[in-house]
Amino acid sequence: MNDLNEQTVLSISELSIAFGGIKAVDNVSFEVNEGEIFGLIGPNGAGKTTVFNCITQFYKPNHGSIRFKSKQGQTVELTHHKSHEVIGYGLVRTFQNVELIKELSILDNVLIGGHIDYKTGVVRQAFSTKTAKMEENAYRAQAIEILKFLGIEDRKDWLVYGLPYGILKKVELARTLMCNPKLIILDEPAAGLNDTETLDFANVIRTIRDKYHTSILLVEHDMRLVMDVCDRICAINFGKFLAVGTPKEIQRNKAVQAAYLGTEDAA
Amino acid sequence: MKKLNLSLKNPIVSYIGFGGLLMLVPALILAGVLRNSTLTLVASVIFYSIAALGLNVLLGWSGLVSLGTAGFMGLAAYISAYLTHDLKLPFELALVAAVIIPTLIGILVGFISLRIEGLYLAIATLAVSEILRKTFEVFDFFTGGYSGKPISFPTILGFITQTPANRTLFPILMYTILVIFLVAVMILIHNLMKGQFGRALNAMRGSEAAAQAMGINLLKYRLMAFGLATALASLSGVLYVHFIKYTHPGSWTLALSLNLVAAIIIGGARNIYGTILGVFVVFAMPDLILKQIPYFGTIPNFAFIVNGILIIIVIMYYPYGLIQITKDFKKIWLKLKERFS
Repeated sequence: MNDLNEQTVLSISELSIAFGGIKAVDNVSFEVNEGEIFGLIGPNGAGKTTVFNCITQFYKPNHGSIRFKSKQGQTVELTHHKSHEVIGYGLVRTFQNVELIKELSILDNVLIGGHIDYKTGVVRQAFSTKTAKMEENAYRAQAIEILKFLGIEDRKDWLVYGLPYGILKKVELARTLMCNPKLIILDEPAAGLNDTETLDFANVIRTIRDKYHTSILLVEHDMRLVMDVCDRICAINFGKFLAVGTPKEIQRNKAVQAAYLGTEDAA
Repeated sequence: MKKLNLSLKNPIVSYIGFGGLLMLVPALILAGVLRNSTLTLVASVIFYSIAALGLNVLLGWSGLVSLGTAGFMGLAAYISAYLTHDLKLPFELALVAAVIIPTLIGILVGFISLRIEGLYLAIATLAVSEILRKTFEVFDFFTGGYSGKPISFPTILGFITQTPANRTLFPILMYTILVIFLVAVMILIHNLMKGQFGRALNAMRGSEAAAQAMGINLLKYRLMAFGLATALASLSGVLYVHFIKYTHPGSWTLALSLNLVAAIIIGGARNIYGTILGVFVVFAMPDLILKQIPYFGTIPNFAFIVNGILIIIVIMYYPYGLIQITKDFKKIWLKLKERFS
């Protein structure tokens, strides 16, 4: 396996996956650089979320390689790993429909993000030893710090159940920050948010990149958010690669325009 | 030095206080206020509570349904009875062995069956439990078969035995041991469930996708939850057999497993006091209250009818279990306080 060059954090090459006879993703390649906010766009059913699920190993691709430069500095072929191992390398994701535990408080939900970093075992936790207590308190402090940064620290003890979508999205984001990630994958972060919330979210994404020194890969429908916040964009349609470039280049690209608006012949 | 938090708001303190409250039962019996049989009744609430707390880790926190609790309880009871009664091994050693052996078998079963979920897991555990029960009937050199296996009170710490002199006191000593175990289990479960392990189980129940994305190995945590539940079921079985001094295949049927599930649903999933309340309602209320009701008390299986109705009421009005009623009481109390102050 070739090591990734210095500025690349994630490299996807010739990725393909088929469900039955349908090729959901067909020979897609792109690279995400360190510190970059990278957008993956495409019309409904283009296969964006499938690409995400392949990266995080929820789906196993039929073909292609997904290389990632881990927190530990090595190049890892993600397809050789299980979905619960991916976070250990510093790659963490959110979900399209917000996957939080509704019976837990905001703080507890965020703490789930720190799961893999706990050093004390179950036995020491059961007896609530000094080290176990100290570790728990340290992660609690870290979680509160993150909630403060996202401006929802005052509600940390609220149950997640029934809270507005804008807050839930932030809680999910806070959860990803607990593991000091190298790359955060956001699946439709603006879905279900109103205009002001979306603007707010765009700022949050930029601040996270700067403050936590991470790269961000996002799938999004909201074109304003994508064009506003992304450094580079990759467009796909029907599982096939269309174009990659800066937001301006993508807006001018004929193939992308055709995919979103249709060609004149078809109209 | 940090000051110890001794208020009842500290759960650990409240559990120890609860244990103290349970110790009032033998005191009241000695004082002649309660009948002797009450001790057995409360003791049964205690050992069933230990099994139910284990099952709650599985059912409440992890969202996995097991119908095999009775089988593992029975296995532990027979092992402990055999080791102390037939092989004359010390009680403490038998206790450890009778918890470890079923737990290992449970983990083995879990390793095979925890790849499946929901109803299928329930069916798989039910099958294991029924196989175990059949084993109790057939291997009569070990279990006494259909006639059951009577044993005597154990020798504690190698020198405390029951003699004619301490006839009434010895059951109270056994009862004290049960209380100590229950309080210890309550504290351990509380510690585990409020920390990283408990959050992992919660995540697993709430969203498997999120759990995996956060690095939680589903099979590993399911196995750990299953192992913990089996270990507590085994402990419960051991305490049962040494307190009741008798075990019979008919005690370890599906009905017991289902009653434990009912206790959790009625009392409160993911709630320690709720579990104990549920066990009290399901296992003690029939004898204590229902049978005293004129006319209805004589209906066979009246307790089943009441449990069924209770489950419906609880699911409709108290989705987090009857323990929620305490919150309602608190509200009424606060209102009354406001009115009269």
